[in-house]
Amino acid sequence: MSGNGDTPRGRVKRRAFLGGAAALGAGAAIDRTIGGGGTNEARAAEPAPARPIAFEGAHQAGIATPSPKHAIFAAFDSIAPSRAELAAALEALSDRARRLTRGYDALLGAPGEGPTPDSGIVGPQVAPDGLTVTIAVGASLFDDRYGLASRKPRHLKPMTTFPDDALVAAECHGDLMLQLCANGEQTLLNALRDLMRATRGALAGRWKIEGFLPQPRESGAPRNLLGFKDGTANPDIRNPVDMDRVVWVGRDAGEPGWALGGTYQVVRIIRNRVEFWDRVARSEQELMIGRDKGTGAPLGKRKEGDDPDYKTDPKGARIPMDSHIRLARPRTAETEGSRILRRGFNYSRGLDMSGQLDMGLVFCCFQADVERQFEAVQKRLAGEPLIDYVVPTGGGYFFAPPGARDSQDWVGSGLLA
Amino acid sequence: MLRWLLPACALAVLAVAGCGGGGHDSGSKNPPAQPYSKRSTVPGVVRQVTPADYKAPIADYRRYVRRRLGTLGGQVAALRAAIARGDLGAARSAWTRADATYESIGAAYGAFGDLDAAVNGRPAGLPGGVRSADFTGLHRVELALWERRSTRDAARPAAQLSRAVARMRAQVARLEIDPLEYSLRAHEILEDGIHLQLSGQASPWSGSALVALRAEVDGTGVVLDTLAPLIARRDSTDALPQARRALKRLTNALDGLARSDGSLPRWDQLGQRDRERVDGLAAGAAEQLAYVPELIDPRPARPAQRPFGESG
Repeated sequence: MSGNGDTPRGRVKRRAFLGGAAALGAGAAIDRTIGGGGTNEARAAEPAPARPIAFEGAHQAGIATPSPKHAIFAAFDSIAPSRAELAAALEALSDRARRLTRGYDALLGAPGEGPTPDSGIVGPQVAPDGLTVTIAVGASLFDDRYGLASRKPRHLKPMTTFPDDALVAAECHGDLMLQLCANGEQTLLNALRDLMRATRGALAGRWKIEGFLPQPRESGAPRNLLGFKDGTANPDIRNPVDMDRVVWVGRDAGEPGWALGGTYQVVRIIRNRVEFWDRVARSEQELMIGRDKGTGAPLGKRKEGDDPDYKTDPKGARIPMDSHIRLARPRTAETEGSRILRRGFNYSRGLDMSGQLDMGLVFCCFQADVERQFEAVQKRLAGEPLIDYVVPTGGGYFFAPPGARDSQDWVGSGLLA
Repeated sequence: MLRWLLPACALAVLAVAGCGGGGHDSGSKNPPAQPYSKRSTVPGVVRQVTPADYKAPIADYRRYVRRRLGTLGGQVAALRAAIARGDLGAARSAWTRADATYESIGAAYGAFGDLDAAVNGRPAGLPGGVRSADFTGLHRVELALWERRSTRDAARPAAQLSRAVARMRAQVARLEIDPLEYSLRAHEILEDGIHLQLSGQASPWSGSALVALRAEVDGTGVVLDTLAPLIARRDSTDALPQARRALKRLTNALDGLARSDGSLPRWDQLGQRDRERVDGLAAGAAEQLAYVPELIDPRPARPAQRPFGESG
C-alpha cells in the first residue's frame, strides 16, 4: 500500500512525486523500443450488436457483454408491504425487461383512448438497440422487512466509506440497482419509464445517474474524462474461464445456492476535478496514471495492450510505485486474485455551487467477492496521488443474481420464491 | 381497431391480488392482459356518458364544496383572531387547518377563476415573487407566519384572504363546473399533490405538504364517490376499486406518520424511507386514477382513429 494516509485531507499531494517525473523522460525513451507482451485488451464501447441481447441466460446480461454507448444506473428502495408484493415487483421487472430488450410494437393507442401503456418516446417500434437490463439487490433488502436475512449473499454489505470518499447520502446505497445500457439515450429513458411505471407502487426511486462512453473513434479502451484510456487491463469478457475466475459466484464460494452464477456489483460515482486536472502537466498526469496519455500504453511501452513489465522496473523509475495502474493491479501472484471486471461510464451533470463542472466516472465493477477483489484494490489505492483529482461522492454495493433461466423465470426468483 | 393491454391492471399486479373483471388467461405468468376498450360499448349494455349525466354528481360536489367553504370561513376567522392577538402558535394551527380545507376541494379550483389565485396563489410566476403585490392569500399568510414569524405581517393578507373566501361562499351556489374538467379532476388533484406538495413547492415555509396531501386524497375520494355511478356503468375493468385501494394505502401510510398528538410531521423533516413510501404510493395511486377519466368522458365518441403504431 502506498501510505500517504497522513497527508491532511483536501491538500494536494502530487508534489510528493514531482521528482519522479524527471526520471520518466530517459526511461520512457529507452523502453518505448522494447515493446511488450500483450494482455487481454478489453474493447469497451464496442457498438452493441444489432440483434437483441438475450435477457435470459445463466448470467444476467449487462455484465460480461460489451458496453454500449449509454447507461443509466438507478437505485430504488422497496416500499412493497410484503414479500409477495416485492416478488411480484421483481417478476414485473423481468417481464418488462424481457420485452424491452427483445423489441416490440409499442402500444400507443389512438387519440382519445386515454393513457397509453407506452410512453411512445421511441416511436411505434421499440427496437432492442443493444438494451440490457441488469437487476441487483442491495444489503438493505435483507433487513427485517421481508425475512430475507438468512439468504443474504455472504459478502453483501452497505458500501464501505473509504478515507478519501466524500459521500453524499442522497446518492448512496439502495435496496435495488437497475443498470440499463443501450446504444441510445432515448432507448434507456423509454426502458426506465416503462420499468418504473410497472413497479410504481412497490419501488421508489432513490438516486439515478446517467453515463456515456465516447464514440469508438480509436482502438482500445474508451477514454475517461481525465483524457486517459480506462479499462485496458480488464479481464476478457469473451473468455469464460476468466469470467468464472473473476466475476461469477461459483460453487466453492460458500454462497447461498440461489446466488450461484450471480456476481457482486460495485457502483461508485467518482467526480473528476477536471479543471484542476487540466492545469496539470501531461507528464505529471501520466505519472499519476502510469500510462501514456496519447497511446494508452504503460509508461515506457509502445502499445496500449503491452504488459507494464514491472519486473524490469522494481523501484518505479518508469511507472511510479504509487501510480494508479500499478497500485490497482501490481501483477504479482498475490494480487492477481483481486482482479475485477470494470464496466464504468463517464458522466456529466451540470455545475456545482462554485461553477465547476460536475463530471467524472460512474465506476462500475463486477466480481465474485467484493472484499477480496474491489475492496482489496481500493485499499491499495488509498492515498494514491490521483486522489487529489477524483472525489467519490456516491454509489453502493449490490448483488446481481443469476439470470432468468427461461421465459417463465425472473431475476431474483431464487431469492424470493 | 387496435386493442391493447390495460396497464392499470398489468401494473397493479404487484399492488393488489388479482385483477378482477376481464377474462384473462389465468394460467399465464405474465400480468393479465385485458382488452381496454372503454370507448367501444359493451353491446346492449352501456350507454355513452353525456354531460347531462354529470348533473347529479356535480350538484353533489357543489354541496360538498359549500360545506367545506363554510368550514374554511370559520377557520379563516380563527386565523384572523389569533393573528389579532399576536398568538403565532394558534395562528399557525389555524392556518394549517384552513390550508387543508382548501386543498380538499381541488375539483372546484378552476371554476372559481381568479378567486382561486386570491386564496391559493403562489409566488411562482409573479414578477418579484414573494415581494409582488399580487402575492396574496393563504401562502402569503404562510410566509408571514413561518418565514417571518410575524403575526403583524400576516394581518393584511389574512384580511384579504377572508374577503376572498367570503366571495367564494357567495358564488358557490352558482358554481359552474365543466363536466369534462370534473372527470379529469379524478386524477388531477393527486397529480397536483405530487407535483406541488411532494416537491415542497406548495407550502415551502410551513412544510405542511403531508397535511395538504391528506386533504387532497380525501377530496379525491369525494370526487370518486360522486362519479361512482357513472364509472360503474362503463367499467368492466375494476378500475374504481383499484383506485380506491391505492388511495387507501396512501391514506394509511400518511396516517401512520402522525405523531402522538395526531399531527403530521413537516414533509422536509421526514426520513428518506418514509418519504419514499409516500412518494411511491402517491404515484402508484395516480397510475390507478389515470384510467378513470376515460371511462366517463362526457364527449361524444369520435370515430375510431388510426392507431399511432399502424402504418399505411
